[in-house]
Amino acid sequence: MMDLDFYVDSVAVDVVTDELEKLSCPLFFRPHLEIKESDFFINVRNVASYRVQNGDRVHVHPHENADIESIKLFLNGSVLGAVLHQKGILPFHGCSFEYNGLGIIISGLSGSGKSSVTTAFCQNGGRFINDDITPVQIGESVTTILPIKSKIKLWDDSLQSLNIKNDNLQRIRPLMDKFYISLPEKMLTEQPLNHIFILAKHNEDIFKVNELSGMAKYNVLRNQIYRKSYLKGMPETSKTYFKQLCKLAQQIRITQVIRPQICSIYDTMNFIKQQIV
Amino acid sequence: MKNLVWLVSYPKSGNTWFRMFLANYQRDTDKPVSLQEIESTPISSDAVSFEEETSLNPFEMTFDEVDLYRPDVYRTISQDAEITGKICFKKTHDAYTLNTEGVPIFPADVSKCAVYFIRNPLDVCISYANHSAREVSSTVNFILNEEAYMAGKKAGQLCQKLMSWKSHVKSWKEQKLIPMLIVRYEDMLTDPYGSFGSVIKFLGLEYCEERLKRAIINSDFNKLKQMEQESGFKEKSQKCKSFFWKGKIGNYKEYLSEKQIRSIVEYNFDTMKEFGYIDDKGEIKI
Repeated sequence: MMDLDFYVDSVAVDVVTDELEKLSCPLFFRPHLEIKESDFFINVRNVASYRVQNGDRVHVHPHENADIESIKLFLNGSVLGAVLHQKGILPFHGCSFEYNGLGIIISGLSGSGKSSVTTAFCQNGGRFINDDITPVQIGESVTTILPIKSKIKLWDDSLQSLNIKNDNLQRIRPLMDKFYISLPEKMLTEQPLNHIFILAKHNEDIFKVNELSGMAKYNVLRNQIYRKSYLKGMPETSKTYFKQLCKLAQQIRITQVIRPQICSIYDTMNFIKQQIV
Repeated sequence: MKNLVWLVSYPKSGNTWFRMFLANYQRDTDKPVSLQEIESTPISSDAVSFEEETSLNPFEMTFDEVDLYRPDVYRTISQDAEITGKICFKKTHDAYTLNTEGVPIFPADVSKCAVYFIRNPLDVCISYANHSAREVSSTVNFILNEEAYMAGKKAGQLCQKLMSWKSHVKSWKEQKLIPMLIVRYEDMLTDPYGSFGSVIKFLGLEYCEERLKRAIINSDFNKLKQMEQESGFKEKSQKCKSFFWKGKIGNYKEYLSEKQIRSIVEYNFDTMKEFGYIDDKGEIKI
């Protein structure tokens, strides 16, 4: 029996040997991807195909010779995104932690440095919540970060910069120099969200900062949704998110931080710290 | 629909310069198009576009796995472009290769044509060393390396297989599925009207001499250099002082040793000869 260690406990994950059926009449499709409101199919070549239905059931069909770590990685990435969207729980593409009593998300594109900076914060008083995908529950006046079982994933050079030895760490995939690390204090309870930082890089030697206001907050928030392209096949969910994001934009601070491509992780952390007042 | 045009080159061979010319030709105004305007048309190896199209993080996939998806990503770009009815130009530095399923990365069924920009590898070497802030000696080794690739590691762009300079040229020249025009960087400098004009005709765009003249003036190398100094250019790396550096012919003479010149010429002899960079005896012509 394959233990796939899915990040959300309430979801049934079944491994099947038969090829998965594709969707009938998807609203959005690509050759490897099919989506409608409560049904989702993705084929990750050389790894597995996955089907998600009603936000509470996942079928996994591993491809020949696929390794379990790779199957888990995509299950807890793109597939987890589909589960959360189907549940109507908005996932941001960002890491989260609690710092000085505040709930913080560091969002941004893959490779922007979200996980490294989050780890640096957690080495300096922060308490880790989620890596890469942060689901939030948006309320009338307060929004909370929902903790899932995720672990931080870091590249070898980030580990070195953060003084973390990779001796006994597990690789995210067999041949990849990216590792799972467990941070000592993981928050398991919901945390109110106060501030989202959008982290990006540029080819200059200086940090730049811009705190957003008004409609710009909504537009930027929408771009931080994890796998927002899924919403092309989920019009109802998309409408619900629109209303939720309008509420969220009024509740929290949103700050864009642009860091030099080449800079210290701790310098980035310190720069962000200065914005959290 | 065959609506994708690949603007292909080994790095530092005039691709960005041509894109600026093309943007000016298409815009056809007295005022030069800014560098920021071409930044909004990403390179074919843009990782953000890949992740948006596939819903997969390319940096958690092997290079070979990414290449399995790339033909379909380009088909989607082609479909999206169909709505506008316009040709979609995509810059690329990749050599023409097949993925592990034997499928070309650049799908002929949606490709209208390709323009290949070629430049003397001696000048390419120096310009690339400046661009990537590498030692000249390691850049010499790089352009002779059949396994060479760029990017793909942790962020930025997808992995692009370059191979050696000569194999890069050969890979595109020998493919027969996408019609292709080869343009020499040196001709773009010494005969801009003939050179840029030939591309406009090849692409089947409306040919107008006045427009051509204006676009050439507005994308003049020194003008691009000045624009970069005034407002920066995202395609420059942080370690490099400027993307538009010298742009001249024969710049290698100031930087490459005799031994380095000899090793590049010997390795790339046939291709350099074919494109007029050396004569039958291996004497450098430019």
